[in-house]
Amino acid sequence: MSESLIAYLLLSGTLAAIGVYGFLERRNLIGILISIELILNAASINFLAFNKFVSPDKGLGQAIVLLIIGLAAAEATLALSIILVLYRGMTSINIEEANHLKG
Amino acid sequence: MELFLIFTIVGSPLIAFLMIALLPHRLKRIAPLLSISFIFLSFLSSLLFFLKHPQIQETPFEVQWTWLQANRNLSFNVGFLMDRLNLLMLFVVSLVSFFVQVFSVAYMADEGRGQSRYFAFLSLFSFAMINLVASNNLLQTFIFWELVGLASYLLIGFWYQKPSATEASRKAFVVTRLGDLGFYLAVALLTLHLGNLNFSALNSPEAIQSLSGGMITLVTLLIFTGVMGKSAQFPLHIWLPDAMEGPTPVSALIHSATMVAAGVFLTARNYALFSASSISMETILIFGTLTAFVGATLATIQNDIKKILAYSTISQLGMMMMALGAGSFEAGMFHLTTHAFFKSLLFLASGALIHHFHTNDIWEMAQKGSRSQVLTLLVIAVGGLSLAGIFPFAGFWSKDLILEALEHKPVFHAAALLVSFFTSYYVFRLLFILYFRSETPHAHEEHHESSLLTFCMNFPLISLAVGSLIVGFMGTDLMHHKLLKFISPEAEGKLSIELMMTGTGIAVLGLAVAYWNYLKRKIQPPITATGFRRVLEKKYFMDDLFEKVFGRMVLAFSAFLNWFDKQMVNGKMVNGTAWSTLRLGALLTKVQSGELQDYLMIVFVIASAVIYFLVK
Repeated sequence: MSESLIAYLLLSGTLAAIGVYGFLERRNLIGILISIELILNAASINFLAFNKFVSPDKGLGQAIVLLIIGLAAAEATLALSIILVLYRGMTSINIEEANHLKG
Repeated sequence: MELFLIFTIVGSPLIAFLMIALLPHRLKRIAPLLSISFIFLSFLSSLLFFLKHPQIQETPFEVQWTWLQANRNLSFNVGFLMDRLNLLMLFVVSLVSFFVQVFSVAYMADEGRGQSRYFAFLSLFSFAMINLVASNNLLQTFIFWELVGLASYLLIGFWYQKPSATEASRKAFVVTRLGDLGFYLAVALLTLHLGNLNFSALNSPEAIQSLSGGMITLVTLLIFTGVMGKSAQFPLHIWLPDAMEGPTPVSALIHSATMVAAGVFLTARNYALFSASSISMETILIFGTLTAFVGATLATIQNDIKKILAYSTISQLGMMMMALGAGSFEAGMFHLTTHAFFKSLLFLASGALIHHFHTNDIWEMAQKGSRSQVLTLLVIAVGGLSLAGIFPFAGFWSKDLILEALEHKPVFHAAALLVSFFTSYYVFRLLFILYFRSETPHAHEEHHESSLLTFCMNFPLISLAVGSLIVGFMGTDLMHHKLLKFISPEAEGKLSIELMMTGTGIAVLGLAVAYWNYLKRKIQPPITATGFRRVLEKKYFMDDLFEKVFGRMVLAFSAFLNWFDKQMVNGKMVNGTAWSTLRLGALLTKVQSGELQDYLMIVFVIASAVIYFLVK
């Protein structure tokens, strides 16, 4: 079981589903950020799993995962700074209150 | 050279119109001079054209260019046709126009600023009329047919400050439009079925054979409705008496000599087509007879001199139509020619009286001493005797020719004789009232006009009087039927002596009754209306009929359209579109909740759906 591709895909799929759910349902911006991290990790696991079982070149998947980790770090920085600015403006990080674009 | 001449004939009044319209204000005073010289140029060119082509009777001259090429079978042309028929009309139109314009110089002398507008419109009318006559195809004729209608509208309403004049101009325009609708349908039908609207093609035996009998009847009757409108045939004659609101020279030119004769001309132009349908010919004959009778009887009770002449014009147009319907188009055209001269003469002379006495009422004229206007009364006598058909004046010859043409149709012949009786009656009534019932004028009341204006007034009167005499003689044995032969080489024009005696007898009978009524019994207005006279005073209820029935119908329909426009077009369609757009927009703003996660939800749902369908 631990050696099959399906197990890895199930894990990453579950992780991604949890991420999307949190992304859509959390009202706390930090929570949403964490959910995004979950989705990114699910993608990373996907890459590694396919790399291990399908691809002939073992280095490529790991390189991409490293790239994703870097990307996630940059994204977290950017997102946190946006959240900080939002907090300064609204004294809240509840996303339901940031609805000024309402038609 | 021919082309140049034709362009001079048809183009010079247009040049006059444009020049007058564009004249700077300082130079507006030369407008009459321009107008008169250009119409004279037009007349000279048509004379020159005739002299250069004496054989025009046998070989018509035609030029044409393609205007629109719709497809291989259908093209619209512009062109000019010169044959005996329209050369005659060209002479009549340009000559009468010329005299009327000269007369207008005196008649409109007090008009000031309006004078240039007046002469511009007259030139526009001459242009349209000459082109109408010179066209070689039905479509072009239709275009200029509408243009003369426009010019007539503009000139009837020339005194636009007078509500009655604008009312009359509108009436004339709308009533003739009613007839033109039929004409337009005929043009469309002929285009569909023949694809060639040239007169020579329309009247060729092949074209007539290729159309079914019913189609020919339909087309000719539709053309005839246009003719009824323009030539004031019963029951569309109601606009002509009202058109007398315009200046008198305009009535002389447009509403007696030229435009109203256009219908007669159009029928004569398409005579082969009309002759191919006996139903159409019968219809023309019947409507002509009705028109002649209605016009002549209505003329007998009018007190307004212009109204008398207007109804008389209607009746004479009816006579022309009778001649055409009876199968003698040369009689119709001959009567058209003589009528153009003596009726424009009568109108101009009545204009001279109106100008002098400042009234249209013949009784008032008599009171103010109409007897003093010797020259005017003399030419009225010439025109009147001609109209009444007294030997040897022009009308005698042409009217007898019509009677001759009707000889084999006893009912219509009798009707024509009755019409002659009424004609002679109202002519002598007019003459008796103006001369014998006139008070002796006060001698001190002489106001002198400048000699130029007097000349402008008298010269056309005398020329037209002489002209009408000459034209009459040109159709008789004495001149070897020159005019008749010119109209139609086969014309015989022999008048039987019995017919001449009958015609004269009827005319004398009319004279006798008029003598009895107005010189023996000394009838004076106001006259109580009884019996038939009441019907006459109501104008056979035709105006009422149009006003009450058709007017109401049109108004009701307009009210419906008004409602439809307000409620349906404006309410449901225009405002409805705006309303539903607003509502839809309001609905769609609900989607814009402003919550990021709602948007993302939509993105996810759509993206998953897209991916699902792509992968599947």
